[in-house]
Amino acid sequence: MSMPDFQLLRPTTAADAVAMRAANAASRYVAGGTDLLPNIRRGLVEASVIIDLGNIAELTHIEFGSDALHIGAGTRLATIAGDAAIRSRFAALAQAAEAVAGPTHRAAATLGGNLCLDTRCVYYNQSEFWRESNDYCMKLKGEGCRVAKKSKRCYAAFSGDVAPALIALDAEIEILGPNGSRRIAIADFYRDDGMAWLTLAPDELLTGVHIPLCDGWTTAYEKVRVRGAIDFPLAGIAVALKRKGDTLEELRIACTGVSSRPLAVEGLDELKGKPLDAAALAIIVAQTEIAAGAMRTTLVEVLYRRGVAPVLARRITERLWNAAA
Amino acid sequence: MNAPEPQVKEIASSSEPHGVGARRPFVDGIEKVTGTARYTADLPAGNALVGMLLRSPYAHAELLEVDISEALALPGVRAVITGDECDMPYGVIPIAQNEFPLARGKVRYIGDPIAAVAAVDEATARLAISRIRLRVRELPAYFKSPDARQADAVLLHEKKQGNIEREVHNEFGDVAAGFAAADLVREDTYECAEVHHAMMEPNAALAAWDTERGHLTLWSVTQVPYYVHLTLARCMKMEAAHIRVIKPFSGGGFGHRTECLNFEVVCGMLARAARGTVRLLQTREETFLAHRGRPESQIRIKLGLKRDGSITACQAEVVQRGGAYGGYGLVTILYAGALINGLYDIPAVKYDGYRVYTNTPACGAMRGHGTVNIRFAFESLLDAMANELGIDQIAARRRNLLVAPAETINGLRVTSYGLGECIDWVEGASGWAARKGKLGRSGNVSKGLGMACSHFVSGSAKPVHWSGEPHAVIVLKLDFDAAVTILTGASDIGQGSSTVVTQIVAEVLGIDYHRIRVIANDSAVTPKDNGSYSSRVTYMVGNAAADAAENLKRLLVTAAARRLQVEESEVIWYGEAAAVASDPDRHIPFADIAEEALVGTGTLNVKGTFTCPPEFQGGKQRGGAVGSSMGFSYVAQAAEVSVDMDLGIVTVDKIWAAIDCGRAINPMSVEGQVQGAVWMGLGQTLCEETVYENGRHMAANMLDYRVPTIIESPDIEVHIVESMDPNGPFGAKEASEGPLSGIMSAVAAAVEDATGLRVRTLPISPPRVFAAMQEARNEAAAAAAEAINKEQAR
Repeated sequence: MSMPDFQLLRPTTAADAVAMRAANAASRYVAGGTDLLPNIRRGLVEASVIIDLGNIAELTHIEFGSDALHIGAGTRLATIAGDAAIRSRFAALAQAAEAVAGPTHRAAATLGGNLCLDTRCVYYNQSEFWRESNDYCMKLKGEGCRVAKKSKRCYAAFSGDVAPALIALDAEIEILGPNGSRRIAIADFYRDDGMAWLTLAPDELLTGVHIPLCDGWTTAYEKVRVRGAIDFPLAGIAVALKRKGDTLEELRIACTGVSSRPLAVEGLDELKGKPLDAAALAIIVAQTEIAAGAMRTTLVEVLYRRGVAPVLARRITERLWNAAA
Repeated sequence: MNAPEPQVKEIASSSEPHGVGARRPFVDGIEKVTGTARYTADLPAGNALVGMLLRSPYAHAELLEVDISEALALPGVRAVITGDECDMPYGVIPIAQNEFPLARGKVRYIGDPIAAVAAVDEATARLAISRIRLRVRELPAYFKSPDARQADAVLLHEKKQGNIEREVHNEFGDVAAGFAAADLVREDTYECAEVHHAMMEPNAALAAWDTERGHLTLWSVTQVPYYVHLTLARCMKMEAAHIRVIKPFSGGGFGHRTECLNFEVVCGMLARAARGTVRLLQTREETFLAHRGRPESQIRIKLGLKRDGSITACQAEVVQRGGAYGGYGLVTILYAGALINGLYDIPAVKYDGYRVYTNTPACGAMRGHGTVNIRFAFESLLDAMANELGIDQIAARRRNLLVAPAETINGLRVTSYGLGECIDWVEGASGWAARKGKLGRSGNVSKGLGMACSHFVSGSAKPVHWSGEPHAVIVLKLDFDAAVTILTGASDIGQGSSTVVTQIVAEVLGIDYHRIRVIANDSAVTPKDNGSYSSRVTYMVGNAAADAAENLKRLLVTAAARRLQVEESEVIWYGEAAAVASDPDRHIPFADIAEEALVGTGTLNVKGTFTCPPEFQGGKQRGGAVGSSMGFSYVAQAAEVSVDMDLGIVTVDKIWAAIDCGRAINPMSVEGQVQGAVWMGLGQTLCEETVYENGRHMAANMLDYRVPTIIESPDIEVHIVESMDPNGPFGAKEASEGPLSGIMSAVAAAVEDATGLRVRTLPISPPRVFAAMQEARNEAAAAAAEAINKEQAR
């Protein structure tokens, strides 16, 4: 389906963008457009006004501060993936950016767009003909969830690659609204709800992220997918680890693709101060299993997605542990 | 005259081949690479109306009413048509025509076209579609072959008991005796998911109706403009003479477009109803719903082997989920049986095939038509039995080679056969002897090596429509400009057919390429051709091109002799010039020869033809024509894989493929075709499958239908074996379908070499391998536990 008619606004400051959004109820922001435009063409999103963020210079910075790395939300994923300093000092972030879709997507797609990616479901990301013939679903125009028949909630899965890396890196999100800006922990940016997965208000704009410097840590992101490019994560795992001698000083693990929000694996605190032995790895596997409760939102079997997330978590942690020795 | 004086070109004596055997880029490559090529959707037609289809949301239902009154009343709507527009069923096989361009009485799959709209723009067309009201009575629907075959199942088509479109039962040789004589008999079952062509260009058609004359011109993406032409005439009840079909540049076909498809007829009917020009573009989803791919297949196969590996008998049962309509179905189910033969020397074969109607999009022809899934089963079982007998898998294949010329038990004639050389090369190149079973494991990754063989026809020796015409015709036009124009109906769909005919003409005439151009696929201009399917073009059209070029050359030599005032036997033909044998300084350029050839007659139109002799047209049995061909390609391929033992992900690291394609008319093109076939086969092997839920296509897009990316494409090393077919043009055979069908079992064998697990279901996707490894681990753990229990009991 072709793009429906729309009005295009091109603000040059973040404040103007927020004002335009507030003034137009049926508006949407577009940055790279790799998520929004296919969704509009499929009839998943309606927007009579599209606010292009591509001309806002203040959103495209990469700055190393004294205690944190600041990245503007408009920074292209290809830029992040190719940045030498990010690659060496925030490997998980660079790897996550590089794992998104294909090269042409990454050349257009932005950090902010990937963090705000619409949740995905095989019953939702379909054409109007398809959804109509399947009586739609609660995420759009219909009732009930097609993934879990009796569910009162939507299970569409968050499938961005960058968010788990930022969770593992303990990043903060900067948000600009009509009343100024605020900062929140990235974990608080998301909700476990396939229909309302962001805590971002309609009149707010994600402007950037702050990532604490993490020298002394080793970090990584990996995803399982059928194809080596293009595919969204069936399960994605980010790990950040700090090793001190033979003990684990810090460990953060986050996953994506397996629920409606990217989330940190819990129950890892007891591993701190101990060596990463078989018992520790078993706890990592068990805790990741709990976090990675994938539902049937893709054509790939749920058991596989639930099964490989803990494997990835164990493998990456072990690898980082050994690399930090 | 202002033109420069024609110069006699220096005749370069080069060892590089000029025509046949030259590694030349495609003659239409520049347009494709620079983006100036115009495909059907790009054709300029500013005044074209927008066509759109209403598709069935029901998998199986009686159509009680299709109310188009509201849609027709909308401003900007120029035509709305339904099944009432055409009461002539169509289908590529004359004895199995049961599809209507727009459904009549019944819909049989989700996506079955019901009505169509032509409107001034897309939004109006979409609105009109939404205003069409349906009243239906839903019927039980069947999405799997066994369900459709139940005794009490409602029939999709009348008189097709058990929803069986076609049963095939035949036995050649004495199978019972063969199994009795075997040292080892094994039987196993295999399953292959349905796959789709996923060609780059989605479906599209453009139709212009000439209201004053009542004539139709249709541009389409088809591989078979001739069949489209016939179907338009049939369904629109028009004289064929009033129809013109043109195929512009085409973005691939792979069999999807080897029959006329509903959107092509609908586009023509819409243009007539709207009395104008209609462009009907199909979305990727609609292109998936037109389907025509390889059917989901259940295969039970049994082989008998002597201790030395020689095959004594084969018995196979194949069930194909054919989908809602006939299409090419009966050919597919016949091919699967017929081409068990022709690769190895097998003394006895029994085959039972069942093509089943189901409420899913119709299957059809797809690269390697009919042979791919049965080859996966056959080669896999042969491997397993060789292992059991302690014979090397390559040795087992060598034991069963044919010797050309040969005639198989079902009447296939094998006149050239280079499989032995193919196997030799693959064995050496892959380091088989030193590496098979020894690649080992490092960390999470285990590596393995596997191989398999395959073959395919070079065109079906009996055409679908037997009209008594030759199998192929080429016309060469020589005019005052001394240019040679090749007129061909053969569809270049990216396989390079226009390049092949050009090289053959250049070879025979010896002239420069800049003098030759190709005009293809315009029924008003080019000779009829059956189309691009079953790898017929190089063999058949190539032979016709050689014939045409020889015929033209004869006229040119006569003309040269006349101009040089010598006997024809005195003429030395250089292509760009001709000289006198006894006095080589007396020579004339091609332009003079052409000028002389036109004296008294004008423009020359010289024809060449090719006809398959009857003795190649198959055995006498019913359906015996399917599988018959004048030449078979032979392929051996080896695969090296890495398996992630934790995640079940199979990575193909390297493929070695040796093909006997007879003479390689363009070796570079052959390599490209082999690599493409291998790559397409890897898609079916590793990750491609259609998925239906209650008949609803769950993967009708390029995200969920996982065609491999360049990352999944390994290095594919191609080796050409030129067996020189006695009847092919300059010895050539097909090169593009045979290399596909061995890949599945070669990779499965490599995975077994790496993991010890033989996967018998396609695709060998990560979840499947992961589950298989988990099951194996559980079994091993259970066995260990049992051993401990026994130990304790003792």
